[in-house]
Amino acid sequence: MRHRRFRLSHLLLYALLTTGSLVMVTPFLDMISTAFKSQTYVLEVPPTLIPREPTLQNFVDAWQSNHFALFFRNSLVVAVSTTVLSLLVSAMLAYGLARFEFPGKNLVFYAILLTMMIPSLMLIIPQFMLAKTLGLRNSLTGLVLVYTAMNIPLNTFLLRGFFEELPRELEEAVLIDGGGHFTIFTRMALPLSTPALATVAIFTFLAAWDEFTWALTAIDDATKRTLPVAIATFQGEHLTQWGLVFAASLVAILPVIIVFVTLQRYFVKGLTSGAVRG
Amino acid sequence: MTRKTLANLLGALVATALILAACAAPAAAPTPATIKETVVVQQTVPVPVTATPAPVEAPIATINFWHTYNPVETKVLEEKVIPAFEQAHPNIKVQDQTVPYDDFRKKLLTAIAGGTAPDVARLDIAWLPEFADLGALAALDTLMNDFDTYKSAVFPGPLSTNAWKDHYYGLPLDTNTRAIVWNKDVYTKAGLIGAPKTIDDFLADCAKIKAAGSTCFADGGTYGWAVMPWIWSMGGDITDPKMTTSTGYINGPDTVAAYQLLKDMLDNGYLDKAILGGGLDTYGAFAKDQLANVLDGPWMPPLFASQYPDKAIDFALMPAGKGGPISVVGGEDIALFQQSQNQEAAAEFVRYMLSPETQLALAEAGQVPVRADVADQAVKAHPYFQIFFDQLKTARARLPHPNWPKIESILTDAGQVILRGEKTPQAALDEAAAKIDPLLK
Amino acid sequence: MPHARRFSATPYLFILPGMLFFLVFLLYPLVEAFRISLYDWKIMPGAVSTFVGLDNYLRAFKDDVFWIALRNTVLYTVVTVPAQMVLAMLVAVLVDALPSGKVLYRTLYYIPVITSWVVVSLLFRYLFDPSEAGLINYFLMHSLHLIAQPIPWLREPGPAMVAIITLGVWKGIGWSMIIFLAALQTIPADLHEASQIDGAGPVQRFFSITLPLMRPTVVFVLIMLVIGGFNVFLSVYLMTGGNPLHRTETILTYMYNQAFNFLEFGYGAALSYLLAIIIFVISFVQIKFLRRPIEV
Repeated sequence: MRHRRFRLSHLLLYALLTTGSLVMVTPFLDMISTAFKSQTYVLEVPPTLIPREPTLQNFVDAWQSNHFALFFRNSLVVAVSTTVLSLLVSAMLAYGLARFEFPGKNLVFYAILLTMMIPSLMLIIPQFMLAKTLGLRNSLTGLVLVYTAMNIPLNTFLLRGFFEELPRELEEAVLIDGGGHFTIFTRMALPLSTPALATVAIFTFLAAWDEFTWALTAIDDATKRTLPVAIATFQGEHLTQWGLVFAASLVAILPVIIVFVTLQRYFVKGLTSGAVRG
Repeated sequence: MTRKTLANLLGALVATALILAACAAPAAAPTPATIKETVVVQQTVPVPVTATPAPVEAPIATINFWHTYNPVETKVLEEKVIPAFEQAHPNIKVQDQTVPYDDFRKKLLTAIAGGTAPDVARLDIAWLPEFADLGALAALDTLMNDFDTYKSAVFPGPLSTNAWKDHYYGLPLDTNTRAIVWNKDVYTKAGLIGAPKTIDDFLADCAKIKAAGSTCFADGGTYGWAVMPWIWSMGGDITDPKMTTSTGYINGPDTVAAYQLLKDMLDNGYLDKAILGGGLDTYGAFAKDQLANVLDGPWMPPLFASQYPDKAIDFALMPAGKGGPISVVGGEDIALFQQSQNQEAAAEFVRYMLSPETQLALAEAGQVPVRADVADQAVKAHPYFQIFFDQLKTARARLPHPNWPKIESILTDAGQVILRGEKTPQAALDEAAAKIDPLLK
Repeated sequence: MPHARRFSATPYLFILPGMLFFLVFLLYPLVEAFRISLYDWKIMPGAVSTFVGLDNYLRAFKDDVFWIALRNTVLYTVVTVPAQMVLAMLVAVLVDALPSGKVLYRTLYYIPVITSWVVVSLLFRYLFDPSEAGLINYFLMHSLHLIAQPIPWLREPGPAMVAIITLGVWKGIGWSMIIFLAALQTIPADLHEASQIDGAGPVQRFFSITLPLMRPTVVFVLIMLVIGGFNVFLSVYLMTGGNPLHRTETILTYMYNQAFNFLEFGYGAALSYLLAIIIFVISFVQIKFLRRPIEV
């Protein structure tokens, strides 16, 4: 009796979750389907999920004649550079805040908390003028530096929580053996924090890969566009040619989805083991 | 120990710097394979024998050219015009970039504010006064010593859109207007023979077209480009001819009647609801016989044919009201920016864009030439240009005023309020007049 | 040794690189934004900016569009935050209870989170097409028979906000879900078993054991989502652009347009500051009243 109820409730679980995930996934299926449709079949009544005369033409047009390979490269360079740089400086900053007592520590910490709350977009006007003064407009370096800074508050906050929970005894052992704090940081703190670092890295990578407004505002040169800007611009040029727009969009989102699906084990482990307790 | 820590941390800082440099290097380095060059490389064109031979060691100037050409026009520009220009000028590279029309003004303002304006841009004639007034454009009549030869070669109407205060800040590049593009299949189905000549006939035809199951007319919004033909054709206007006041014009009886006309058309189901926003694939609707008429420009036939090669289109003048069959003048000017570091090279490109051969090359894609000496040739090659030349004879320009973008935004909002039935045309336009008057000072 | 109370440069060297970024690209702009907000700021080279005191702030209070934008921003937050949290918690609890296939479901719900905002905003514009051919309209008309006429989604302010909010919830569920799920997995299984022996049902167990244990996580997610809600920008910018008639405008879309469409940098900066103050106050209140009791 008890056993049967158990299985029935599982069936209900799967039914509920499957219904929900259909809502999550159907928009993507429609997008994929439209990307394989020629303009004649876009927005027809009734809508069809299986294209009647599937074509690869949209992908060919988007990839070949519209330089999406270049935009892809730009996005990759920016997102990877931002992730590495932001991870390094945030980890050092978080370690400094977690493991040391020093005058001004609270001030620094609260300043970081404060910037976590403010909308990053509200800084766009002064950042725009700063980038102009520093010659950082219209360059991918400018994007990397601003993205790195944008990600510092949250990354530092999450990593600080993780570093604080590392056992003090290990640290003292290293010190007794004659190692310095930098040794502790690189040999002990960082390796022990791999899951947290992976989590933060994925968040940062996604944020940099998806960022739109600063890239739109800072980049003028078409050859330096990142994927989000390129896709929005592409849509502006091809207004209702949704097949073309979605073919280009798929190019941008598939890699991230693949990366996430592959790495999610570490990511979830990082969430479970510390970042979540922030 | 402290010293050791210090050393370690310095090491960390150096490492940071190195990574920073390593990350930044590929990003900062100028992309060697620019988009434009790729295109040029792919073309194996014979080496030109003529052209002005430049010294080999002359530094290569790269000029940035921003425009809103549609995909068909861009193809001609990138595959014919620019390669030919670069062959004739081996020391100049042209890097062109397409910006969607709706984003262009904002993008240009941002770039000017950020000190990274392009060298040359193709601007909607309605924007030139604003950018000239901002001090962003270079006065072409002082920069180009041969300006007068171009000035006399182009049509005076389009040329006049480049004048601001005492100088010319650009040259016309193409001209256009909106004419009725009508769908013969739908007309036939509704039992009609041809497009209407007057607004009264237009309304009568709309009733039959609606009865036959199609929408009579569609437009994308209530901005100036869309509503001005109706306002002028009904005898109304936005301001007095000298642009000193809008009271008595935008809220005058004829303009009010024009808005009432649009409102009635919308309520009767003659006018597609897309005018309220949200977008409509007009070409798709036209091709599927859901739509009978649009107002469109000379770029439409090539662009439409690239998407729907099998569907025929026909043209007619804007239907006439008491003001006549008045449409709106469009077109683009080519302008050079103050911030440009390559003004000489940019001016050379401007000259090339105004050359007869370039004007004719772009006519392939539906760009109506502005040079009087090639107009006949262009019409012969593209008979559909004729209707646009005819329409241009009576067409009028949107307000050549630096505050036009703000005025237009008031106009757009008033149109929305009226068509959504929130206020009567008179009330909404009275308010608009009160807002526009201070902007005309 | 590490606890010796003497001045050491070490901590400062650790925080230095991060602080440089922080000071140059975040803190300085934060201060500078305030300064700009006090000026009729002119951006063109050579033009003179004039000091106007708090005029830009006063202008906002008299600006109808500001109030509409504020109302929309608040509405978006008030609807999307609870909706995301409740649905995400539900999904997390259900996924956690699965005997197998956890990874599959977790991934399916997380895909919208990792998809670019630009792409999903354009996608939703397509799904919410005002004609009968739009997927949402078609589904409502012909599958559910809820409506007789297609809804002109992005053309009317009310329906447009519904579309924008739907996107916000749809895209956000996965983020909260994965964090809740992570927290659920840290709850010791013996606690559940103990209460099961006491005869508590699953719902009762959730409210009496699970939820209190997850309180820090829930508060963290709440604070982050509220900040995120007030930050709503991109979906509106790409789906309606604040139209029709500025009625779907949010504070940030209005700010961005004022700054970069009309070069009203001073007014834009003032709008940003007003938003920042609102967020700061709300976050502060949340932290003060929700966080304290469990942080001993």
